[in-house]
Amino acid sequence: MAASNLMTEGLNLMLVGMGFVFVFLTLLVIATSIMSKIITRYEKGVGTLPEEGIPAPTAVISQAMSERQHANDDKSLITVLSAAIHKFRSRK
Amino acid sequence: MDKLIHLWEVTGINQMTAGQGVMILIGMLLLYLAIKKNFEPLLLVPIGFGGVLANIPGAGLAEAGGILHIFYTVGIESGAFPLIIFMGVGAMTDFGPLLANPKTLFLGAAAQFGIFATLMGAVVLSYFGIFDFSLADAAAIGIIGGADGPTSIYVASKLAPELLGAIAVASYSYMALVPLIQPPIARALTTEAERKIKMVQQRHVSQREKIVFPLLLLILVAFLLPDAAPLLGMFCFGNLMKECAVVDRLSNTTQNSLINTVTIFLGLAVGSKLSADSFLDMTTLGILVLGMGAFAIGTACGVLMAKLLNKLIKQPVNPLIGSAGVSAVPMAARVSNKLGLEADPHNFLLMHAMGPNVAGVIGSAVAAGILINYIGA
Repeated sequence: MAASNLMTEGLNLMLVGMGFVFVFLTLLVIATSIMSKIITRYEKGVGTLPEEGIPAPTAVISQAMSERQHANDDKSLITVLSAAIHKFRSRK
Repeated sequence: MDKLIHLWEVTGINQMTAGQGVMILIGMLLLYLAIKKNFEPLLLVPIGFGGVLANIPGAGLAEAGGILHIFYTVGIESGAFPLIIFMGVGAMTDFGPLLANPKTLFLGAAAQFGIFATLMGAVVLSYFGIFDFSLADAAAIGIIGGADGPTSIYVASKLAPELLGAIAVASYSYMALVPLIQPPIARALTTEAERKIKMVQQRHVSQREKIVFPLLLLILVAFLLPDAAPLLGMFCFGNLMKECAVVDRLSNTTQNSLINTVTIFLGLAVGSKLSADSFLDMTTLGILVLGMGAFAIGTACGVLMAKLLNKLIKQPVNPLIGSAGVSAVPMAARVSNKLGLEADPHNFLLMHAMGPNVAGVIGSAVAAGILINYIGA
């Protein structure tokens, strides 16, 4: 009695289990396909994320700072250079 | 003289039972396989050594209060170690190939049939009175067919802790044997022409898709099968950390130092279950045989499913990638690739096989959730 009960339980579990694995993964296939479609369409408008991901926030701050500094340096350098060129040309 | 006799009584030679001797030899055998034959050394070295330690007579390392017993209670009985490992595996997994071709998820599903067929096999064996497995034992043995070490340990610790040693050893040794077990089955079930099928180049998968996928999977698990949430939740968390790329430090720790640390303790704790009275038993032999069956059936179903898929959808599918549907990342995918190259030296299947391979990880975690749910209820 107990043994045949074990058999039916086993069979049940096999059918339920395999069925559920398939249902779950089928849903996952559908959900994934829809997700990919939506994202592909969305990215046509806004462009993709950089492959290496969004840079870490700390890096952003330090990079931005140094970039701004560079820009400032360049600006003053250009001012000095153009003034010198102007003077040189006006001397002729 | 009394003192001398006392000293003799506490030596290992005096206290050693035959079973302990045999278990120490088995531990040494595992070490030999790991070191000399390179069988999953990362796990078999700690497991083998733990097995030796656990059987030192009189030292009681694996008994209550012993250090290995403490590792076991803290890490495996609580379910923590396999879950942390799963987080690390998630952080090492690239879902790109799977997202490029989501239909390969079906291959990962089909290969899980090995789990349930073996469960049935164990039940039939106890029906005929050859072994005495309960339904919980049968389920824990079946999960070996998932070819996923941490999942097997997790399920075994929940459903059949007394079989854990044998199940863990079986599942890790068979994972190491994937390159030997799979090729004959895959070859027998496919024709030369099928093995030569070239698959279409995979499309590019954008970073956004890779970030959204673990969240999507998590939501699906949360809605449909909360029993798989511990395993898949940790897996998704690890993967999200990797893909979102803003927590590289956490992701690096998870996939390197953390997973390594936990592997050491997991191995030793599993080794502590290799004690003579529970391992030296016909049951262990049964588990080893059934586990092998689970693997073979899973591989065969994956290949057959891939053949079916090849008939049903327009894109060509090489049946060889079906065998990668049993998890065993990335070994099973490499086997598919190797067989493909054998048939045609220009047929590279590795990336195509990685899809079913990670699908297998998801599939076996789902199957584990169902087993725990069904038997726990």
